[in-house]
Amino acid sequence: MTNKFKKASIMTITALIGAGALSASVTMVPAFAKSHRAAPVVKLQETGSTLLYPLFQLWVPAYKNVAPNVQITPSGTGSGTGIQQATDGTVQIGASDAYMNNHLIQQNPGMLNIPLAISAQQIMYNLPGVSKNVHLKLTGNILAQIYTGKIRYWNDPQIAKINKGVKLPHAAIVPIHRTDGSGDTFLFTTLLTDTNQAWANSISYNTSVSWPSVSGALGANGNNGVVQTAEQTKYSVAYVGISWLDKGLQGGLGEAMIQNRAGKFLLPNNATISAAANAQVGKTPKNERVSLIYGPGSNSYPIINYEYAIVNEKQSSPTVAAAVKNMLLWAISPTGGNKSTFMTKVHFLPLPKSIAPLSKAQINKIHG
Amino acid sequence: MRSARIRSRIFKVAAGVSAVSPLFVLLFLAIVLINDAWPAFRFQGFSFYSGITWNMGNMYANNTIIHNGVQGSPGATFGILPFIVGTLASSLIAIIIAVPISLLSAFALVYKVPPSLVKWISPIVELLAGIPSVVYGLWGILVLAPAIANLIGPWLSHLGHFIPYLAGPVGSGFGLLTSGIVLAVMIIPIITATSRDLLMQVPHLPIEGARALGMTSFESVRHVAMPLARRGIIGAVILGWGRALGETMAVLMVSGNAMNYLPANLYSPISTMASTIASLLDSAMTDYTMLSIHALALIAVTLLLISMITNLFARLLVQVGRRDIGTEV
Repeated sequence: MTNKFKKASIMTITALIGAGALSASVTMVPAFAKSHRAAPVVKLQETGSTLLYPLFQLWVPAYKNVAPNVQITPSGTGSGTGIQQATDGTVQIGASDAYMNNHLIQQNPGMLNIPLAISAQQIMYNLPGVSKNVHLKLTGNILAQIYTGKIRYWNDPQIAKINKGVKLPHAAIVPIHRTDGSGDTFLFTTLLTDTNQAWANSISYNTSVSWPSVSGALGANGNNGVVQTAEQTKYSVAYVGISWLDKGLQGGLGEAMIQNRAGKFLLPNNATISAAANAQVGKTPKNERVSLIYGPGSNSYPIINYEYAIVNEKQSSPTVAAAVKNMLLWAISPTGGNKSTFMTKVHFLPLPKSIAPLSKAQINKIHG
Repeated sequence: MRSARIRSRIFKVAAGVSAVSPLFVLLFLAIVLINDAWPAFRFQGFSFYSGITWNMGNMYANNTIIHNGVQGSPGATFGILPFIVGTLASSLIAIIIAVPISLLSAFALVYKVPPSLVKWISPIVELLAGIPSVVYGLWGILVLAPAIANLIGPWLSHLGHFIPYLAGPVGSGFGLLTSGIVLAVMIIPIITATSRDLLMQVPHLPIEGARALGMTSFESVRHVAMPLARRGIIGAVILGWGRALGETMAVLMVSGNAMNYLPANLYSPISTMASTIASLLDSAMTDYTMLSIHALALIAVTLLLISMITNLFARLLVQVGRRDIGTEV
């Protein structure tokens, strides 16, 4: 990391959000235990993705039984913040839904992007008059045209053509996007980039993008806000993280079947998500910075991703390095953090058996 | 004796440090922000204020662009006119709604409501001022937005034949009018409390004299109390306006967060400067050229400047208002 980046970013962020004292996060406190042989307490800080945050909240109390001398403090701030603070060394573990871009990696070659689990996203819509038993079919290409304002009405011929038998209203579509920087925006815009050339050329993908001006289009804050706004806005369409699926369905939203690369329309579920993950094992490079969107396989759901831990391979001391290493190895272990009791609670899927070794190899690079 | 002197010295130093600290905080903020904002201004120039497209650029591209000696991600362009318009328009609506309500309730509290009731109502007004903005935002989402979309909006849009910007489409209920009303509800307690305090300082004698001359209560307020407290009340209004300009969370929740276009009518989705800074900071942090953070800092500088000017102006008016009351009696 260059000095310029570090200095300016720390200053600005302090000024902009008036960040409170970020106390030195790693402190070695000699435990005043009865036995003088007790291991010293190691304190670790985790921050970043609000999608991963609930998982860390489940992991932390469970991990206390595994390593009683390691104290982990998780916080949900946002993927960008997770990447930034892990790079700065403010925290030991950053959490992100998006992998770091090439420029950031060139600038900070020691940063590891380690997948911990698999997540997915569904497209939801508020379409009065369409039965809840019907799942509307949509493609990335159609969604791209909706979000650029080229398709304005629900009964557009392109939508009608793949939804024969569904009575579509002549009502203006209200596209809803996330206002805050978000991994969900990253996944959704990656799908649009992969399926629509005009989108790829003009807008591309990121955790925030410059949304084309579509009259009436709405932005909402957080998955919570998106679901709420969609429920209240007739004829809207929105992308929602998988952990909010139940909430959206309860609120009366429909869940769309999305066309995958093989041309099949699918809903996200354990079978289609793990099929998509397994189909892309070969595509995942050693550094694991890869998009899983719109992957191959006839039964692969097209919008899935790795949830990343962002970690500097060089930690402040061998003790801290060992603590981070052991925690992450536990997190990706099928008998540890990847156990289904944790995963189902946050609607994630465990890492595929063939991907886990890649994550393990990266974790083993961490040193003091 | 000696310890008393030491204590007095400690007190003096501590008080002195505390007294000057706000000045230093402001200076520190201004210097840091301007320093950070400068590259964005060099990159974009004055089109920062006239452009309507905000694009942080493609951070996942493998190349970067250089413009006026400043590096940015490909496609980066920063125009904040929609955010400025959104900020000013929503706060203006808030003022238009809040001022009459606040002034009438302040007059009522001072001249009409029996003191035994004022004892109960006054603390409630102050309590309203202390409610966290996220609560107002939630009320805006759950109650106000649907009401605007289904009830108030369609009714108001009939007036669109005579009054510009009132015509439909009404849309989803998330937008300019909803933001303005939420902001109005938030600043009414502030304006009410400040003007009430000012009116309480208006001496009783002139009012009683006016009543003795046969003026109605409206006339005595209009011709006697109001002129005495006028400038101070203008100050109170501007104080409320300052609050509306900087409000972030509540607006973020109900504004519809429009991007890259200007509002077409009263119901259009908008974005404000404060809510934009809050919502885009996280993504900006992954811009390795730092240009996006510089651009957000430039929004912050602009907002700081606008609210500083309005605040200074308000303080000045409140001060002059107090003096008016003191000298004219």
